[in-house]
Amino acid sequence: MRLIARYAVELEEAYEVVTVWDEQTDRVRVPKSDPHIETLSRTHPAAIWFERKMHDDFGIIIDNAFDNRPLVHQERFPRGLHPMQKHFTQTAIEPAEYLPYKYEAIGGDGVFEVAVGPIHAGIIEPGHFQFSQAGEDMLHQEVRHFYKYRAVEKMLEGKTLQEAKAIIERISGNESVAYQTAWRDIVLQAAKSELPEANRKYHALLLELERIIHHLTDLGFIPNDAGFGAALAFCSKLSEEARRQMQCLTGHRFGFGAISFDEVQIDTEALRVYLDDLEKEMMFFEEWITDIPSLWDRFDTTGILAHHKALKYDTVGVVARASGVAQDRRDNDFYRTHGFVLHTEKSGDVAARFKQRLAEVKNAIVMMRALLTETTESVVLNEVHGGDYTAYAESSLGELFMNIIVKDGIIERFFVRDPSFMNWQALHLMMPGNIIADFPLINKSCDLSYAGNDL
Amino acid sequence: MIRFWNKRLKTGILTEAPDIDEELAALRKSLKDEVKKKFAGSLAIRMVDSGSCNACEAECNALSNPYYDLERLGIYFVASPRHADVMLLSGLMTFNMTPHVLDAYAQIPEPKWVVTLGDCPAMQAPFEKTFAVNAPATEHLPVAHHIPGCPPAPDAIIRGLLAFLKKI
Ligand code: SF4
Repeated sequence: MRLIARYAVELEEAYEVVTVWDEQTDRVRVPKSDPHIETLSRTHPAAIWFERKMHDDFGIIIDNAFDNRPLVHQERFPRGLHPMQKHFTQTAIEPAEYLPYKYEAIGGDGVFEVAVGPIHAGIIEPGHFQFSQAGEDMLHQEVRHFYKYRAVEKMLEGKTLQEAKAIIERISGNESVAYQTAWRDIVLQAAKSELPEANRKYHALLLELERIIHHLTDLGFIPNDAGFGAALAFCSKLSEEARRQMQCLTGHRFGFGAISFDEVQIDTEALRVYLDDLEKEMMFFEEWITDIPSLWDRFDTTGILAHHKALKYDTVGVVARASGVAQDRRDNDFYRTHGFVLHTEKSGDVAARFKQRLAEVKNAIVMMRALLTETTESVVLNEVHGGDYTAYAESSLGELFMNIIVKDGIIERFFVRDPSFMNWQALHLMMPGNIIADFPLINKSCDLSYAGNDL
Repeated sequence: MIRFWNKRLKTGILTEAPDIDEELAALRKSLKDEVKKKFAGSLAIRMVDSGSCNACEAECNALSNPYYDLERLGIYFVASPRHADVMLLSGLMTFNMTPHVLDAYAQIPEPKWVVTLGDCPAMQAPFEKTFAVNAPATEHLPVAHHIPGCPPAPDAIIRGLLAFLKKI
């Protein structure tokens, strides 16, 4: 089974540990007086961050875990505080005495460590990477994140679903439409309302446009990290144009506020012309870029994530598909009728992730044509019912999982698992056998979200 | 390669393409003049994300695309705070990032300025105060100028930088 998420919910006398698999959901109650749960990390390494986070959030002790270090709470975080507990209501904390974090390190003669971050040399989100090096060769890398931790889960408790919207759509800016789509599905479930087909099509169209913008950005930045700047100039032009389409359609360059239950008129003719142009540009780009041997020399066999490891680490999205894992939340009737084709690559290297994005842009163009619709209908929502609601979306990065428990009309517990949360944990697998100079290239080929990961 | 050069000649220079309005062109001109006057032709910016949603960074990256091409105006994003004149700060100043932001600021040689980017550091984005959020940034740093927006679009960032340069 594939692990999707693992998190805790506070009840009166107990914590409920929820483990979401692709085939089932397990719920185990542990008493608050002595909260213990057995680790899953021995069979599912991706459980490690979920479990370390669960300890930071609620103080639940993970039995037989081999990694008990704090995850979200860093060197200066007050010890013994578990802020997701309901009785914790402070809106400010004082830094505690600095307690060094013990990084994973490989010892040995001549092996040294390189620390990178949290602030990186560029316009990038903050995070820390710790490398164990034998000369140029990377022996191991540890990814350490949560510098951007805003406590979004806590922030959303006590709000109505409508009030939460503006925050949810800003959890990870470049996946905003995906987050809004998941929110929409939860609202529809809670209000027991139906979404007209035209609205579903329009929202799916926006999600594909978001994917195009994101992939185009990467299709430029990946070659740029291999020293081929012309591709960045070309693709950043295309991604700017795609962003302007998003602005035209939704009134916002990132589509904030785009998924709503209101009626929308769409200029399908202009969009059709745009898609035709983009398709031509992509054809040119593919022919051009495929023809540059020195570039593929850097891409091929760099940063390989083997198929069996992609499965073992429960990876998702572009990263998983580039390693031959046929997994995509769009793999259903609605999307297939609108032109979706599940594409995978085999080699699991930078080249595969690059080609995966290329294929997904081309498919997104086909889908957007099929999803064109003149107008959506306004939907009047019924009253919100309490309950435990789950939704998924396939963001430009991969599978997004969202769960909201609604009680008396307000959010009792909000949990979201960004695709990056899974894939960050598999990043180190791509490093051994590569030189440190290739790290930026490998990292960019995955292009994961820090904000969505850290919450 | 021939295909590429054909394409390049046909595309021409986008930065001056007619769909960029005149106002933006004028803005760029005055920005260039201000940079020249006040920073001897080159303004070095160190961008620091203190807990953003990443859209503000995406718009800063867009400043380098052929439509905006910020470097033409003598404005550079630099890799080290020690090479910077200005810290451009986005995000909510999270509890976990605060010490690192202050550290980066300390590394910038005098004279130095902090410009905040986007609604987050001013606590004007929809996010609310939690124990993990230390924004507004003005409580921690001497903020010389603020560029509002959620996120500010690239032309708004250019405009904002101009306003900052006029102010100092
Ligand atoms: S100001 Fe808005 S766009 Fe910028 S980081 Fe904050 S939420 Fe994102």
